[in-house]
Amino acid sequence: MNEILLMFHVLFGVACIITAVWLFVDVLHASEANLNRIRGLSWAAAIFMWLAFLIGGYWYVTFYPADKAIILKGPWPFAHSFFMETKEHLVIMLLLLASYLPVAAANNLAANKEARRLVLGALAVIALLGLMIEGHGAVIAMGVKVALLAGQH
Amino acid sequence: MENTAVSKYTISFGLSLALNSVANALLVVVKEKSHTVTAAMQKITGHQWVTHVAIILILFAVFGWWFARINNGQGPKIAVNRLITTIAAGIVAGGLIITGFYLFAD
Repeated sequence: MNEILLMFHVLFGVACIITAVWLFVDVLHASEANLNRIRGLSWAAAIFMWLAFLIGGYWYVTFYPADKAIILKGPWPFAHSFFMETKEHLVIMLLLLASYLPVAAANNLAANKEARRLVLGALAVIALLGLMIEGHGAVIAMGVKVALLAGQH
Repeated sequence: MENTAVSKYTISFGLSLALNSVANALLVVVKEKSHTVTAAMQKITGHQWVTHVAIILILFAVFGWWFARINNGQGPKIAVNRLITTIAAGIVAGGLIITGFYLFAD
């Protein structure tokens, strides 16, 4: 069950990143024709981020202590001491940014160049920070794997 | 002529975002350096990280609404370029403090 939860955590995180990239392209070509789609997608990105965060937060509080103990006994303790520690706090900034997105996208992006720049900047950070955090998750999973493999020998 | 104004909530929550990105990082440093703070945060919700998240989310909402009410309810008068710079500075500072702390100080 906890592995399924973890997969949904990653799934919604990736959905947020993909939506941010889609939005970036849409905002670059903002016009009256796509304003409603931009606003809808900005809500979708925020909702995907919240789902990823809530599922990941539940998993972190409930199941991660067992993984943490395995990682710290293995050859990659930094998978917890650096990667998980930074991930669990950088993700809060990502959550704030994703929550801010619908507020910024509510402006008339078709008529307002500066509002477009603001939204494009937020989307670029969401996509890049999101990818970085996904990478952190991969290192954490690898930290568990190498610890378990080391224990078999 | 191009419109350059954004809503007061875009500015107020943007400033709150910048402020809380830094507050988030400073809270990391404080709780990692003080067992008393960590224990108190643990006590509030049962998990220090849950308390940490709750504090930052509440501050984000409170400052966002509060900034929108200054200037007789018109919100802060800041150019969008300045807002973008402030948000970027807050996020970069927050990210560097967190990463630097766990890389060098912890």
